[in-house]
Amino acid sequence: MFNTRRLVFLSVLIAMGTVLHVVEGMVPVPLPIPGVKLGLANMVTLIALHSYGARDGVTVAVARVLLGSLIGGVFLSPGFLLSLTGAVSSTLIMALLLKYSDCFSVIGISMAGAVGHNMGQLLAAFLLLQNKSIFFYLPVLLMAGIPTGLFTGYILKSLLERVERLGILRIYEDDAASRNLGPMGLMKEKNLL
Amino acid sequence: MRKQRALFALVCLLLGAVSAGLLLGQRTREYKSDQFLMDTLVSIRVYGKDADKLREAVAAAYAEMHRIADLADGFPQPGTTAYRISDVCRINEQAGLKPVSADKDVIAMLTLAKKYHSLSEGAFDVTIGPVMDLWGFGRNDPQVPPPGRLGEALALVGSKDLVVNEREQTVFLRKAGMKLDLGAVAKGYATEKAIQALKRHGIEKALIDAGGNIRVLGKSRRDIPWRIGIKDPRKADALTAVLALEDSAAVTSGDYYRYFEAGGKRWHHILDPRTGYPAAENMSVTAVTADAGLADVLSTVFFVLKPEKALELAEKLEGVDLFLVADDGRILHTPGLRGRVEVKAGEGYRHDQGR
Amino acid sequence: MTRADRYLAAGILLIAILSVALFYYRSSLSSGKAASVGAVISAQGKIVRKIDLSPGGGKTTFLVSGRLGPATVEVEGKRVRMVDAPCPERICIKQGWIENPGESIVCVPGETVIHVEGAAPVDAVTR
Repeated sequence: MFNTRRLVFLSVLIAMGTVLHVVEGMVPVPLPIPGVKLGLANMVTLIALHSYGARDGVTVAVARVLLGSLIGGVFLSPGFLLSLTGAVSSTLIMALLLKYSDCFSVIGISMAGAVGHNMGQLLAAFLLLQNKSIFFYLPVLLMAGIPTGLFTGYILKSLLERVERLGILRIYEDDAASRNLGPMGLMKEKNLL
Repeated sequence: MRKQRALFALVCLLLGAVSAGLLLGQRTREYKSDQFLMDTLVSIRVYGKDADKLREAVAAAYAEMHRIADLADGFPQPGTTAYRISDVCRINEQAGLKPVSADKDVIAMLTLAKKYHSLSEGAFDVTIGPVMDLWGFGRNDPQVPPPGRLGEALALVGSKDLVVNEREQTVFLRKAGMKLDLGAVAKGYATEKAIQALKRHGIEKALIDAGGNIRVLGKSRRDIPWRIGIKDPRKADALTAVLALEDSAAVTSGDYYRYFEAGGKRWHHILDPRTGYPAAENMSVTAVTADAGLADVLSTVFFVLKPEKALELAEKLEGVDLFLVADDGRILHTPGLRGRVEVKAGEGYRHDQGR
Repeated sequence: MTRADRYLAAGILLIAILSVALFYYRSSLSSGKAASVGAVISAQGKIVRKIDLSPGGGKTTFLVSGRLGPATVEVEGKRVRMVDAPCPERICIKQGWIENPGESIVCVPGETVIHVEGAAPVDAVTR
């Protein structure tokens, strides 16, 4: 079914995700650990996820990794594979939490996504390098997910609130209308904000 | 809607399969092979994605080493094929008679040797053959030669009478009885040739261990510098230091590896060409530089020189570093190794941090 | 931030700390009593014998046929050495005992190698 609004919205999200993906690669992380980054692009995935569900979330995540790596010139490189696994695993975890739990806010969900991203990367790196010793990064990567997830979660929360006030992000239309709630109300009801 | 969902599932599956295939394809494989060659065990380890290519590259590297080994072999019996192939044997045979045309690799080795003969003011000499023969290293009955005969043999040592004509590609030993011994050059030179062969076959990560002469290509499998231990000269199972190396060679000369005992003394095989006796200034020296052939030559040069002189020379040469354990137990190294060497000095050694 | 978010963060932190503790425990375990390692003996390009090097093991000797004739290898607990070999310089015998992973005794004339298997602390040793 073609929904023009959805199409446009997802396209915009993919474009934003790609830009964030590329920009993020340029920001140095003050930690000497490979794989740790802020996960700004994850925010876009999360918006897609709770606007249109798991499928579109994965589409946005995969598309922005593909496009971002093409722009960065690292398509099909080991780094690209790590990004892809990380993005997909984080999207799946966030999708699960969005669907089956209503006690986490966007902050918690983005935290879980960040940790999921890092775990997926670690697993892929293990498959790539065939070296057990990289699991020594596990605690570091787990802990790194907390602040980065919190950070992106907070940004996302204030972003969603502002965007909603402007009336752009009318994404829960059907569901919200049927229950006489605005999208904000729906998000509040689901504890997301 | 259902069609779309099926399509989506298909795309996901495809993507999963492709990335799984890529993950497996990107896996770095190791190929390892050992061969007895040049009087030692040569072990080559290469890393890459394609197992067949790795095997081919290693075969090419061994072929190159065999070629150099045959050219430089000083020990075959006269009359055998090995004797005829060996440039070194033919050059020795024609000593005092006439120049002999030689392979460009032999020319290159001798040119290198002559250069460091003069740079070290005679502390290194490939014409040490007659003296080596007298001591008999590598034979069943090494012995301390009587001083008179040592004097006679020493008179035949001198790189000034080794004429290398690069234009004509010939080599001439001016005095009859002179004899080349490429023992301090050939192994390193062959190792470097083998690394070049690996590179030509597209190998980016490799380690060649030619009886303790180490040459690494690229970084290690884990994408960190290779960790190369330096053997403790007095404790067989200990290490004096660990070097972090990338794209370079580390060659050690020590007094502890090849030696014999006579008259209550240990006599090792690295002779000072100026005296004809084993050099006694250092227990072990390790030369670190990009080229394995140069590292091999330099390890012998530095071993024969006094520690201070050796360090001075090492610092003068560009891209050359030196780690040494002096005869009195002092551990010294050039400033260039700072941050690349981890000294594990045990009892009986003194590591001067200042140096 | 809901209460569940806080629990999630605490949970992740807990797992991280637990995994650190696990790594620490396992590394102290493995350094405490060295895992039993093995040595591989090869002669003339072929593996001729694999031996177990465990700390409690007794003393055994056996012959390995090298290129120049039989060489005698001795194993005592976790160490191994060459006690006799028909080579001229007897470098292999002078090398003495070896026990650490990555170490090896090489007899060039006899084309015999004793190599202790296992994860070595360095990639190679220059000597």
